Amino acid sequence: MTTAPSGLSDPTTAAAQQSDAARTPRQPRGGAGRGTAWYRRLTPYYFLLIPVGLLLLLTFVPVLNMFWYSATDWDGLDKTKNVVGLDNYVEVFTDPDNVRVFYVSLYYFAASFLQMAIALYFATILSFRTRFRNMWKGILFFPYLINGVAIGLIFLNFLKPGGGIDTILMAAGLESLIQQWTGDPDIANFSLAGVSVWRYMGLNFVMFLGAIQSINPEIYEASDLDGANRWHQFRYIILPSIRPIIGLSLILAISGALSVFEVPFVMTGGANGTETFVIRTVWMAFNRNLVGLASAMAVVLLLIVLLVTWIQRKLIPEEEVDLT
Amino acid sequence: MFPQKRRTRLMAFAAAGSLLALTACSSGGGSAEANDDGEPSGEITVLTWRTDLVEDGTFDEYVETFKAKYPDVTDVKVEGLTDYEGEVKTRMNTDNYGDVLAIPGSVTPDQYGDFFEPLGSQEEIGAEYQWINDKSFEGQSYGIPVVGNVQGFVYNKRVWEEAGITEFPDTPEAFLEALQAIKDNGVEVAPLYTNYKDGWPLSQWDGWLGAVSADPDWKNKIVESDTPWTEDSDYGVVDGLIYDAVAQGLTEADPTTTNWEESKRLLGTGEVATMVLGSWAIPQMAAAAEAAGASGEDIAYAPTPVKVDGKFHSVAGGDYNLGINVNSDNKATARAWIDWFNHESGFSESQAGLSPIIDGPVPAALDSFVQEVELITLNPAPEGKESLFADIDTASGIVTTDPKFRQKSIDDARSGARTKQQIFDDLNAQWAEGRASAG
Amino acid sequence: MIRTATTTAKYVSLVVASIVMLLPLGLILFGSFKTSQEFLSTGPMTLPADWGNIENYVTAFTRGNMLAAFGNTVFIFAMAIVGTILIGAATAYALDRFRFAGRTTVLALFLLATLVPGVTTQVATFQIINGLGLYDSRFALILIFMGTDIISIYIFLQFIRAIPKSLDEAAKIEGAGHLRIFFQIILPNLKPAIATVVIIKGIAIYNEFYLPFLYLPSKELRPISTTLFDFKGPYGSQWEIISAGVVITIIPILVLFLFLQRYIYNGFTSGATK
Repeated sequence: MTTAPSGLSDPTTAAAQQSDAARTPRQPRGGAGRGTAWYRRLTPYYFLLIPVGLLLLLTFVPVLNMFWYSATDWDGLDKTKNVVGLDNYVEVFTDPDNVRVFYVSLYYFAASFLQMAIALYFATILSFRTRFRNMWKGILFFPYLINGVAIGLIFLNFLKPGGGIDTILMAAGLESLIQQWTGDPDIANFSLAGVSVWRYMGLNFVMFLGAIQSINPEIYEASDLDGANRWHQFRYIILPSIRPIIGLSLILAISGALSVFEVPFVMTGGANGTETFVIRTVWMAFNRNLVGLASAMAVVLLLIVLLVTWIQRKLIPEEEVDLT
Repeated sequence: MFPQKRRTRLMAFAAAGSLLALTACSSGGGSAEANDDGEPSGEITVLTWRTDLVEDGTFDEYVETFKAKYPDVTDVKVEGLTDYEGEVKTRMNTDNYGDVLAIPGSVTPDQYGDFFEPLGSQEEIGAEYQWINDKSFEGQSYGIPVVGNVQGFVYNKRVWEEAGITEFPDTPEAFLEALQAIKDNGVEVAPLYTNYKDGWPLSQWDGWLGAVSADPDWKNKIVESDTPWTEDSDYGVVDGLIYDAVAQGLTEADPTTTNWEESKRLLGTGEVATMVLGSWAIPQMAAAAEAAGASGEDIAYAPTPVKVDGKFHSVAGGDYNLGINVNSDNKATARAWIDWFNHESGFSESQAGLSPIIDGPVPAALDSFVQEVELITLNPAPEGKESLFADIDTASGIVTTDPKFRQKSIDDARSGARTKQQIFDDLNAQWAEGRASAG
Repeated sequence: MIRTATTTAKYVSLVVASIVMLLPLGLILFGSFKTSQEFLSTGPMTLPADWGNIENYVTAFTRGNMLAAFGNTVFIFAMAIVGTILIGAATAYALDRFRFAGRTTVLALFLLATLVPGVTTQVATFQIINGLGLYDSRFALILIFMGTDIISIYIFLQFIRAIPKSLDEAAKIEGAGHLRIFFQIILPNLKPAIATVVIIKGIAIYNEFYLPFLYLPSKELRPISTTLFDFKGPYGSQWEIISAGVVITIIPILVLFLFLQRYIYNGFTSGATK
């Protein structure tokens, strides 16, 4: 994947020049002959000027500012920022409304297991010979391409009282199963997480399918000769070969669960106990002008994501994830 | 493409090293072309919460008439915002929040000067307009209400009468009994609609505050109290009624799927019997009733269901107040718009509201209401305490200007997670804490 | 016996899954052709009385600003994609073809940035965008889209390694400068990478809601997603119009999907695992 070393140490100039000599084919000696050596040495910096500038401006400066804001009571407007130390962090973990957003993300995290299981099932059966395979594949994947706002509206229409799902249950004689899908606080988060499964399952599915199809077909043939059945093929050939990508999906599921925004925002606006991390942070920062507190929330989110990624790197060695 | 911004951008790049200072630099761009006191001319942007009037072309007519009066004005851009409070608050993190806008309820008095241009001294503006105390701070007025409202609730007369209720309920209990009677008589959706999902209609209940105790100083007293939520206090009656109505199943079954535009139709057709909204809602409800094939005549207005000394009371006050963005570079035109809007647009009449102009006409729709109900106007906060209420409110973490705390008590009323008393206790504790840290 | 049973189970599960996937979409499609009265009086599963009733679509386009929204989305997409490609390719070129002081630091910075979800930093990014005077300008989005897309840079890095260095060498001998090598050798040879980036990025930009929601309040500047979101307000009680709006946003992506299926799958499988 990447050749970056795990440490962030900056090699000394001398070392870099040495490696320069060792690794890059030399410039033709008498060739173009324009520009001096120092000019040529500056070339990569010209190419990197804008990319690195934007990287610093839009990623690193905001991250650093965020840490700084999170230690202040800044409201986003005042000229002065009072340092309040860790007060904001205390608030993040003590205000029950703030703690609740972590709890809500658990619904989405749990749902992602269901999502992966379904994706794995369909990826497996579609990796064998199937009629209309491309059609099934297209149908299962397409929801992933739809706008989040559209999905929110589609399911508002589908889940509202008397909407699509109620009509189906009624037609099937299952009136007793009809719920207030977003109105019942015990069910709302399940409904929203369900919408999330509907939306993202296709991506997992296509990733799994890609991984399964990259398995050498001869392996199946050999196993067929050995008398292996489909379950054996799944258990001993497919599963081991896609283990890394499942691991990766799991990690993505955690940061995904914490950054859920569009669907609950469109469908419930975060009311009725469905407020997610991002909805709450946005509300805090821009409606209540608690930029300090919102930054502390964002820093916590960032640290969780970093921690999870670090664990991923520990558990899954990098080269294994590379499928291509 | 954005010439007025170019200057700021350059400054910003120059300051790239100290990005923290950027927000400070970016204010007041484009002063070269600023039109602060000249003749109205050029272009302004008006932010409005009335998306329906933008949608149906009413605002286009306003703009045309305004431009006819001031031919030098090239354009008035009207932006209707669906979630007005929320979106404007976000935009107020920048300089870009239009030239004329309604001052959001959550802006605290001590912040007025940071965001809005003073329109004149409180005395001067007060000589011409009513209800301007609310948006004044330290003797300066920052906003003028577009229309005056009375507060109470809007209901479908036909449905109420069919359930046998012909008199205004005069206690909260009588109000609940009336709703129960309507429910027993059969009503399609609910006797009372909360509009929970949109949120802001829940803040409309605040219109009852002051009418319950018939005390024009209720707000000034509450900042001295550690227990604003009691059985018969202003807040206690309002939030208690909401809780009871929800707990007794008198409101819509699934509050999370409510919709404001939809609610107008429901009330108009009688599928919903009651909604607690300011009198500004009357014409909208009547129009929705007509549009749905019902009669606009069914829509009526009643006062807060509490009698003090044998009389109903209603707080008369300004609706949204129009103010001018302090960063505007066309303040002269912005001011002309506000004055024109109040004097000549015909907006307040069309909204069946009281005119914000002193001794302005009382519209026919409110004539009988005004006969039966004693109107009170709230007293301003004493000198130096203008922002005390807001400070306590913010420090307490309740944020009464945000519907969240009321949504939460509805959640609890439905699930039974907290009793009414527990909610009151929690709110009182938070309030007391807020008082301790803000006072 | 068992074979037939499993085969049947397989197809049944596929049919059920397809219904689950398509039904919510289908109901929106039905709704979009109904009249206002019809929408309220008929059930969601009832087919519209008149499939030729396009009034809701007309309303969505004319009064719902959908046309302007498409224009804005295309504008933002076009600018951002050109920027992303140039930035991604330039970065990859510099990092792969040169050895220079600070190279590993730059690589590490980009690697570190992949770990920062954009959604977390907007609280602070907002202040910077505002400071640059870009609030309520489409360039705010363009800048963020092209400046924070680390995934594309990795895709370019991956592909540039496959371009033989001998090509650069040959050009150099003929006297080409680095800029010419970049534009005439590297970029044309990166076409497959560019296709991947255009697809992933294009769909991401088309669907992005959070950024325009924060940075583009002006009605006439809004892209598809926030324009559609706005339908909830004035049309809140007119689900037939909301439905038409939803269908309008889905159609372009559906058409693209049908024509570019293979590239889209490839784009996502390679993009997602990098």
